[in-house]
Amino acid sequence: MMKLRVLLGASAVAFAAATPALAQTKTVTLAAYSGIFQDHYTKAVIEPFMKAHPDIKVEFYGMPNSAQMLGTLRAQKASPQIDVMIMDVSVSKAATDEGLFDKIDESVSKNVADLYPTARIEGVGGVAVTFDNLVLLYNKDQVKTAPTSWNALWDKQYAGKVTIPAVPDIQGTTLTIIANKMAGQDDYKKTVEPGIKKLGELAPNVQTWDPKPDVYTPIANGQAALGIGWNARAQVYANTSGGKLGVVLPQEGSGFQINTINLVKNAPAGDAAKTFIDYALKPETQAAFTEAMFYAPTNQKAQEKISKEALARTAAGSMDKMIAIDWIAVAGIRDAITEQWRRRVIPLSR
Amino acid sequence: MTAIAAPSVPAMPRLALGRTGTATLLLLPIAIINAIGFILPVLNLARMSFNEALAGGGVREAFTLANWTGLFGDTFYVELIVNSITVSLGITLATLVVSYPIALYLHRSSGRWRTFLTVLVISPLLTSAVVRTYGWIALLADQGPIVSTIAAMGFSPPRLMFNTTGVIIGLTEILMPYMILSLLAGFGRLDPRVEEAAMTLGAPPARTFWRVILPLTLPGIALGCLLCFVLAVSSFITPKLLGGGRVFLLATEIYDQAIVTLNWPLAATLSMLVLIIFGAALAAYARVLRAID
Repeated sequence: MMKLRVLLGASAVAFAAATPALAQTKTVTLAAYSGIFQDHYTKAVIEPFMKAHPDIKVEFYGMPNSAQMLGTLRAQKASPQIDVMIMDVSVSKAATDEGLFDKIDESVSKNVADLYPTARIEGVGGVAVTFDNLVLLYNKDQVKTAPTSWNALWDKQYAGKVTIPAVPDIQGTTLTIIANKMAGQDDYKKTVEPGIKKLGELAPNVQTWDPKPDVYTPIANGQAALGIGWNARAQVYANTSGGKLGVVLPQEGSGFQINTINLVKNAPAGDAAKTFIDYALKPETQAAFTEAMFYAPTNQKAQEKISKEALARTAAGSMDKMIAIDWIAVAGIRDAITEQWRRRVIPLSR
Repeated sequence: MTAIAAPSVPAMPRLALGRTGTATLLLLPIAIINAIGFILPVLNLARMSFNEALAGGGVREAFTLANWTGLFGDTFYVELIVNSITVSLGITLATLVVSYPIALYLHRSSGRWRTFLTVLVISPLLTSAVVRTYGWIALLADQGPIVSTIAAMGFSPPRLMFNTTGVIIGLTEILMPYMILSLLAGFGRLDPRVEEAAMTLGAPPARTFWRVILPLTLPGIALGCLLCFVLAVSSFITPKLLGGGRVFLLATEIYDQAIVTLNWPLAATLSMLVLIIFGAALAAYARVLRAID
């Protein structure tokens, strides 16, 4: 430890002496999800960025969820300590409404012009930086043939073996919209009644509505047989589960979850924050992160730079099967959906 | 505040502080810390409970009673409040029943044996509640040792986890050290000679217990029940991990509203409600104590 410290100190001194310009090093503080997101984002995006921009240092400030990021942002409104924030789109809408974010458009990054239309969301300061989608998870020991349909969750054979993160978690919200479509109602904005009824039939199969520490672990270790989760994390855990965790994008399709990248108003790093955002939206960066963690890219030019193997593990190849979810509209009906779950879905599993 | 007035006294200002002045001075630091670290945030929380929640997590400064009236007009929340209180009372009772014999035995033991047993009772507190709850998950799981033993005996395997049963089992064990220590603290009036006297006068053991031991240990019981009830109402990790999303309690609901749904005004309202329940519990405790004396 001592040796390391001396070594670090010595190299820092040498470095500083060699490059006087370094005295002006700018620090960009990026707040985003901790855990495996932080690990992969640091390797695939931040480290290459710092190599390309030696005058900018990026500090990763990991937080477990978007709500906590919003709370931190509110608390720092008078003098922000964070420059860039990656968070769920519906939370960034709330933060934009409270005047906590600046607008990201072509003037911040020319890459914004190349984003998919769905990556630029009306009323949100930031733009989409990753697309993720809901997937069906299964334990390969307990479910011998890979399921192809969400209907596997309703299969009586797995009674007490299904794990579903319930609303208010947006995985539950996404499942509601999918179930609604399976029950014949395409427009969730009109009504989710058929979806709620269908979920009521699923309820007796459910072991837990609140899997801990996440939904992937109990399925990978066999405590549960089936479940729902986000594709990117599922793919990473599938790799590390020793072939126990299976991941399927069912034939009925799925819905997207959107993470946006946002520029904090009065960000202390100033233009350096914009430089980082520009880098994060570049096709090359987007492709690199897809290779690392299987989020679908938001930049249209990224797709051609991604390997076939990685692309097959994202929703990029099945765009036609995806349900377009307007998360801003969903935020308006979220309370109503939560109320229905608590009264008419979860009680049926007791 | 006497401290400020003190310099106006001409001679020997130090003595002029007097007893109350010294007491005020000594209490001042903790009073300031409490004001900044507890009173102010609670007032802030109270203010938040009158703000207006916007769809999608926004908060608008306002003065509305909507959060409070909504709470009591909604059957889900009324049920949630009733459920929280009854489950916590159930946990308190279960903790008392299993802890009382242990505390009584500890009270009667002496010497090294007593020290050893006391350490044994306190030692679970050295492990965090999260770790102990995960221990219970391993024990109570569908393929776990308890359920499989019951199944092997020919009974239909019960659900012991991801429901209210699991929450009660887990919290009862986690709160036991607090209950035992409170009971011990309140057993001061229990004199073995009084028990002997009852026995000598011909009272059978059961009667001695009901008429002598139990009344004398009531202060300990009241203290332990107050502490365990308050801890049960506010406990969050264990219900979250063992409740399986089926058990709706005040603490887990506050978490959901504050962290997931971002409805801070509602979360603040629920938090204030918990504070009111604590106040009621304290008042009940004070009454019980007065009745005992």
